[in-house]
Amino acid sequence: MNPQLKGVEKLTGTYLFDLATSAKALRLNRFLHGFTVAANRTLFKDDPEGAFDKARLSAEERRMVRELDWAALMRYGASFFCLEKLGRVKGVSNPEMVAGFRGETLEEFLKTRNVPGAR
Amino acid sequence: MAKILGGIGTSHVPTIGGAYDRNKQNDPDWGPLFSGYEPVKAWLAQRKPDVLVFFYNDHATTFFFDHYPTFALGVGAEYAIADEGLGPRAVPPLKGHAGLARHMADVLVNEEFDISVFQDLPIDHGVHSPLTMFWPPSPDWPGRIVPVEINVLQHPIPTPARCWKLGQAVRRAVLSYPEDLKVVIVGTGGLSHQMNGERAGFNNEKWDRKFLDLIARDPKKLVAMRHADYIRLGGTEGAEEIMWLAMRGALSPRARKIHQNYYLPMTTAMAVALFEEPMQKVPASGKASARTSA
Repeated sequence: MNPQLKGVEKLTGTYLFDLATSAKALRLNRFLHGFTVAANRTLFKDDPEGAFDKARLSAEERRMVRELDWAALMRYGASFFCLEKLGRVKGVSNPEMVAGFRGETLEEFLKTRNVPGAR
Repeated sequence: MAKILGGIGTSHVPTIGGAYDRNKQNDPDWGPLFSGYEPVKAWLAQRKPDVLVFFYNDHATTFFFDHYPTFALGVGAEYAIADEGLGPRAVPPLKGHAGLARHMADVLVNEEFDISVFQDLPIDHGVHSPLTMFWPPSPDWPGRIVPVEINVLQHPIPTPARCWKLGQAVRRAVLSYPEDLKVVIVGTGGLSHQMNGERAGFNNEKWDRKFLDLIARDPKKLVAMRHADYIRLGGTEGAEEIMWLAMRGALSPRARKIHQNYYLPMTTAMAVALFEEPMQKVPASGKASARTSA
């Protein structure tokens, strides 16, 4: 146990990215990180199943990515900063992803913000 | 010898760079962000630093979790703008100050701060999203940078106290560099935000304002806090504020906060604060007479 983090477990709705999570989701995060390379984005856009095969993603990992199931991806162990790259490829903004984590629609989430137009 | 003119603490939300790239300065939704950076931009234009030393974090762009550095010092002469999924931003490659960076590596390692080094790698919005707001390329960047990456993504991340000490060691390194360089220290990240789980979208303006007060007036209070405190008060990604501690640790206790701006439009509290070291009054006749009159 990291003494710096004692007490964090009491915060609900919080998924800390630590070494155990990182190890569990390494293959998925590597796939998402791959979107920093244009050729990988092209392959994913043209042939998503081929891209999944190449990355040897599991059936569950494929489903979550295919359906952009942001909440499930987060629970599974995806790093937000890797998911952000999937968001860019699919044209999904960060507020929309955050709404997904919260189980809200984008419209519902924007109602809770000070300046909904600042996107 | 190199000297430190002051420091800048700033958020590095990618939309800050996005607002700059889309020329949103006259958009009422973005105006308060742009105007908050104007005094910082004017101060830099007036003081003309040669180098900005940047404490920043990578966002699983340059580095991946197969080998994620806790601290990594950029020692290159140029850094490409990283592709984060949309192709790189249309700004010139960042110019590095390899001489100062190599000297910093020597000093840090000899102080037993065993930092890793990188070169010839691209850099993401952790550095250049806020940079265009206060040091815009016209057409090229006004000077050089030395990037110091800090892991705030994958726990265990360095403690607040360790980041403060890194800042102090960087100060000693900069001040012992023989060339007459003018240096400004930048720390990026925060303020309150959380980008995961049902608690995503969490903000805490009261804590943010207290942080902006303490970072200037009583940073030791912030140094003594644990990550769990930062996460509870400012969200999981609010823990990025440890990079402001590195910046503050690199300044003298006499540095004064001369400007700040706070804007919370969407998911991340966007703040900027400018710190200035006391001016050394050197008469036009030069150093010798300054010494005589002292």
